[in-house]
Amino acid sequence: MNKVNAHRRNALVLAILAAAVILAVMLYLNINSYPEKPQLHAYIMSLRMPTLVCMVIASVAIGAATLVFQSIVNNRIVTPALLGMNSIYSFLHTAAVFVFGTGSALYLNANLAFGVDLVLMGVVATFVYWHLFKKTGHNILYIMLIGTVLSSLFGSIQSSMIRIMDPDEYDALLNSLVADFNNVNGEIIAFSIIALIVIWAVLYRDLRQLDVIAMGRDRAINLGVDYDNCIRRLLFGVVCCIAVATATIGPVSFLGLIVANLSRQILRTYKHSHLIVGAGLMGMIALIGGQLVSQHIFHFTVPVSTFVTIAGGLYFLYLLLFKKGAY
Amino acid sequence: MNVKDLIKSYGRKKVVNEVSFEVPKGKVLSLIGPNGAGKSTVMGMISRLIAKDSGAIHFEDKDLTKWKSRELAKKLAILTQHNNIQMKLMVRELVAFGRFPYSGSRLTPEDNAMVDKAIEYMELEEYQDRYIDELSGGQRQRAYIAMVIAQDTEYVLLDEPTNNLDIYHASNLMRIARRLCDELGKTVILVLHEINYAAFYSDYICAFKDGYIAKFGKVDEVINKDCLKDIYNVDFEIIRVKDKPLSVYY
Repeated sequence: MNKVNAHRRNALVLAILAAAVILAVMLYLNINSYPEKPQLHAYIMSLRMPTLVCMVIASVAIGAATLVFQSIVNNRIVTPALLGMNSIYSFLHTAAVFVFGTGSALYLNANLAFGVDLVLMGVVATFVYWHLFKKTGHNILYIMLIGTVLSSLFGSIQSSMIRIMDPDEYDALLNSLVADFNNVNGEIIAFSIIALIVIWAVLYRDLRQLDVIAMGRDRAINLGVDYDNCIRRLLFGVVCCIAVATATIGPVSFLGLIVANLSRQILRTYKHSHLIVGAGLMGMIALIGGQLVSQHIFHFTVPVSTFVTIAGGLYFLYLLLFKKGAY
Repeated sequence: MNVKDLIKSYGRKKVVNEVSFEVPKGKVLSLIGPNGAGKSTVMGMISRLIAKDSGAIHFEDKDLTKWKSRELAKKLAILTQHNNIQMKLMVRELVAFGRFPYSGSRLTPEDNAMVDKAIEYMELEEYQDRYIDELSGGQRQRAYIAMVIAQDTEYVLLDEPTNNLDIYHASNLMRIARRLCDELGKTVILVLHEINYAAFYSDYICAFKDGYIAKFGKVDEVINKDCLKDIYNVDFEIIRVKDKPLSVYY
């Protein structure tokens, strides 16, 4: 297959994916929306719109974060979630509430609280993972192992804090901590969008180096990438994206793994500009489609994250067992 | 390029110890020595892939660490021994990455011309639309060299380029290294295990032992009985073939 054909094929694939996203959005907004009863319609929309927007934000954030992260560590089965980034976020959020209390201004203003979370997360997680990479010399097995340990370490600290917390505060915390698809964190939508745009705009130049970074450290340095600084900045972006996704729709552990790998499999290119768009679109299809199924077929008895986890788990096993060359 | 008092330790062990030498411009220089003598580490440091502990590396009268990474990439290219890229990449796309220091991922017509030239030079025309994971080891190595040629640097550093290649491809590769110097005027630095390749294809040899430079000089000054015995602790016989010293050991 020559280059021009490959390009055309990828453009077509992306167009099909985009069409599928639009279809899913239309279905999601219009099935059982009772347009003939304006008040009910408005109420339904007020529920569906924030969910929809949050799913779109999270898809973009998770897709981009996972792809960037995989290219940084040079491995295709590792995702930020597997290395405990979600649990660091939950831990930091709990810690903030624990220290300042739910009565503080910090907690009452959702955007302010999220801003603090984002900064904390950006600093702490970038520091932790940066040193993890440095110390292990990017050895993926060590990173996996330590990541798993970190994940349960932060998880345990968080649950210890919850145990000694005032029950009322715990109740309030839970509300903001355990976001899910039927209870999205609508207050921070605007803030999240702005944060994502700002982060990726600032990191634009580093993103352009990703194609080379994916070739490994030595080759990237040979081709003139300021490697250490570039990786640190990209890691910061990844961490913030995970924070945004976790804050808006809660942890969806396998979504990143699925969309990043499917994007690589289907698009068959090395260009991250295409891969990231592909992963984002596939994330939207998975989440919005999943929400449709959950809402209209299972009538909310089975949440979307369950589908994603089952599908993701199976796909993970498939990658491990049958796609040995992939990582 | 000038290297002075280079030191590098891993833990308590000094793997490179007070190494100083000057790279002769426009020549082929081979770094040889037993395993663990520090030759690859020196190569890593002069190509900025490994950080040095102390000492100085001057490249075109400027400290290596003071160079902007991108500017240096236009002057100096390194090919390491780890050549497994996981990306789905066609030969032509790989070679085009050699232009990254100049134009990023948007190639200009001049860049494309350089890529064409590099592919032609390495005789890869018929493979240019093939994925690199579909190539044989020798072809893949040539594709990587084409990338280095497209990078159009004065200095080309090859770290154990003949590893994992059979005799046919290895000797081919050495001839290519020689041509890079003779035809394109590049300064080529190689790390080699095979003494005879070093003796046949280079102008200068730098022999390492236990982190020190055991001997630096023209081929004939290094490839002789006493010197090799001293470096490798093995008895050598020297035969002259085509006016080059060929070493035999057993």
